Amino acid sequence: MPDLQSKLARAFRPRTVAVIGDKRAMGYLWLRSMSTFTGKLYSVQIDPDEIPGIEELGVPNFPSLAEIPDEIDYAVCSVPRTIAPRIIADCAAKGVGAVALFTSGFAETGEAEGAELQAEIGRIAREAGLPLIGPNCMGLYNPRLGVRQSAEQPTGEAGPVGLISQSGTHAINFGLNGAAQGIRVSTSISIGNAEVLDIPDYLDYLAADPETQVIAIYAEGVKDGRRFFESLRRASKAKPVVVWKGGVTEAGARAIASHTAALATPNAVWNAVVKQAGAITAESMDDLIDVLKALLFCKPGTGRGMGLMAMTGGQSVVITDAFVRAGLEVPLLTAASYEKLASFFNIIGGSYRNPLDMGGTIGFGGQPQHLERLLQILDEDEHVDAIAIELASGFMARRWQADPASLDSLLDLLQAHRERSAKPFVTVLHPGHLEDVASQARARVGERGLAAFASFERAAAALRRAIDYWRQQEGLD
Amino acid sequence: MTNAGIIDRARQQGRTVLSEVEAKQLLAEAGIAVVEARLAKERDEAVALAKEFGYPVALKIVSPQITHKSDVGGVQLNLGTAEEVTAAFDAIVAAAKRAAPDAPIEGVSVQRMAEPGIEVIVGMTMDAQFGPVLMFGLGGVLVEVLKDVAFRVVPITARDARQMMRDIQGFPILQGYRGQEPADLEALEALLLKLSAFIEEHAEVTELDLNPVFAYPNSAVAVDARIVLAAPTA
Repeated sequence: MPDLQSKLARAFRPRTVAVIGDKRAMGYLWLRSMSTFTGKLYSVQIDPDEIPGIEELGVPNFPSLAEIPDEIDYAVCSVPRTIAPRIIADCAAKGVGAVALFTSGFAETGEAEGAELQAEIGRIAREAGLPLIGPNCMGLYNPRLGVRQSAEQPTGEAGPVGLISQSGTHAINFGLNGAAQGIRVSTSISIGNAEVLDIPDYLDYLAADPETQVIAIYAEGVKDGRRFFESLRRASKAKPVVVWKGGVTEAGARAIASHTAALATPNAVWNAVVKQAGAITAESMDDLIDVLKALLFCKPGTGRGMGLMAMTGGQSVVITDAFVRAGLEVPLLTAASYEKLASFFNIIGGSYRNPLDMGGTIGFGGQPQHLERLLQILDEDEHVDAIAIELASGFMARRWQADPASLDSLLDLLQAHRERSAKPFVTVLHPGHLEDVASQARARVGERGLAAFASFERAAAALRRAIDYWRQQEGLD
Repeated sequence: MTNAGIIDRARQQGRTVLSEVEAKQLLAEAGIAVVEARLAKERDEAVALAKEFGYPVALKIVSPQITHKSDVGGVQLNLGTAEEVTAAFDAIVAAAKRAAPDAPIEGVSVQRMAEPGIEVIVGMTMDAQFGPVLMFGLGGVLVEVLKDVAFRVVPITARDARQMMRDIQGFPILQGYRGQEPADLEALEALLLKLSAFIEEHAEVTELDLNPVFAYPNSAVAVDARIVLAAPTA
């Protein structure tokens, strides 16, 4: 499509938005989602029964797009599918920047009528050079401008993650779950059936978008594999791209067909394509957010040697297993480090060969000066490339609950370390008997810009992939 | 016969499957190391070729309609003398005629028995969305049962070739396991790169298998090769 990228730049940072066909029966889903929009919002609705309700929301309504006395940068359309071709033609005539078609009932139905309608709207949009998002999608989320896919999504602060999602649910949930863990969105696009615009078009946009530092993709399939591969490779050179593929089992692939009508690709081939393009694979929503934490909250590092810190003996053993299983290494420390450690480390009920079984030494938080010293020793140790610490949320939850300031001072210390140290640094706060406290604590760690994970395994798996990415960028491996 | 000639002739004869002799000739011209196989139409020719290549040799039936050669008794290995080659030639032709009376028999291919090495397979399949995809794995049970293979889309870079080899679980076997000599990874890398270039140049090839490739400490060579062409479009 000619000038596609400049059209997307206009639509993805809109000054004006039109919602076409919103209804009371849908709870004014779209007008409520756009209520936070910082620009000028318009409604298009011809049904006289619907107009008073829309006007009550304070949104000016027009009987047609053509009558809006303004240019429209972005339109969301939720009209019945049989009317969709006419509305798409209206959008083309109006010169709308881009239109997202929320309406479903197209190729994903597997019926001829839906497929023909989809082909028809595709033809109209292509001929007019109109960027069509969807159909069967939730469109755009731009938190900074208050353009949303759901009235639940937070607005205000923009984040560094550009998301392309073939599922509206995953797009909305990513906006919510990610934000709860400190991972915020720059621009998110729910792409639906991808009739006109497909993943590569959005990928090219986000790769060039200065607000986007990392790209995340939820994909069920692509129409043109070669084009996807080339675009993924270009984007991965510019910034990390994490790809979560849905429908990797035979039964899952069957579910794809009725969801977005995408074609299945053998999983082994898909994974090879992602790796060959220099992108990163994720396996679930949690896994995606984990990898993004490792990419965004950890300093980039290429070494695999871990310095591990745990509160007790049992955790020291299993944190080691987890990081080694993920393909990282747990080396012995330098003689210089052992000399320093020997001078103050409490070896009654503890040990310091690496992992550091340090609960007694740091008095379970009561002796922060020792924790600081341990972090410093590992930071200076040339065998250690990255550091992981267990924050013993099981033992500490009661104390953090009773005395929230105790967590704050711990986080001050960890944050200062992170700022000082050039090595990737991850923290682990397991769920436990007081999961609400642990999860709140995890969120507070995230607010400090520190990577917090719910298990050693998740921390290790995420960090491993971030390190692999940076290694590849450096031409190692 | 030249590169283009082999494919043209197969097309003219309405064939999509190249013979091992043809496939290896094409690959050899592309710089890929193969155990050369030549066609013998008569038993005396087979004996002469065996003498030229050096014993022991392998003989295989060459017939466009017989693809599973060993199933019909069309393969004889480790032939050490002219007498054995003569007998094998007659036995192979007779067995093929019995198993497939209507199949036209072009003759028997003759090749030197390759020294055993680490068995590797390299292949290419066409993916509906990603086009030609190169596959690398260890031979035998590892690929058949454990599906321990790595894929990359064509064309590949040198780094892709190196990563492909390291992607498979069985990579330590290539590095020399339990005192075995390691495989020549550079030769395997070169083979993968040349094969990728060959596939790029030959859009008409839709399927390709080098199975097995023998990897040695200082080289790697394709022992068997199979190439399938796209059916001509009407």
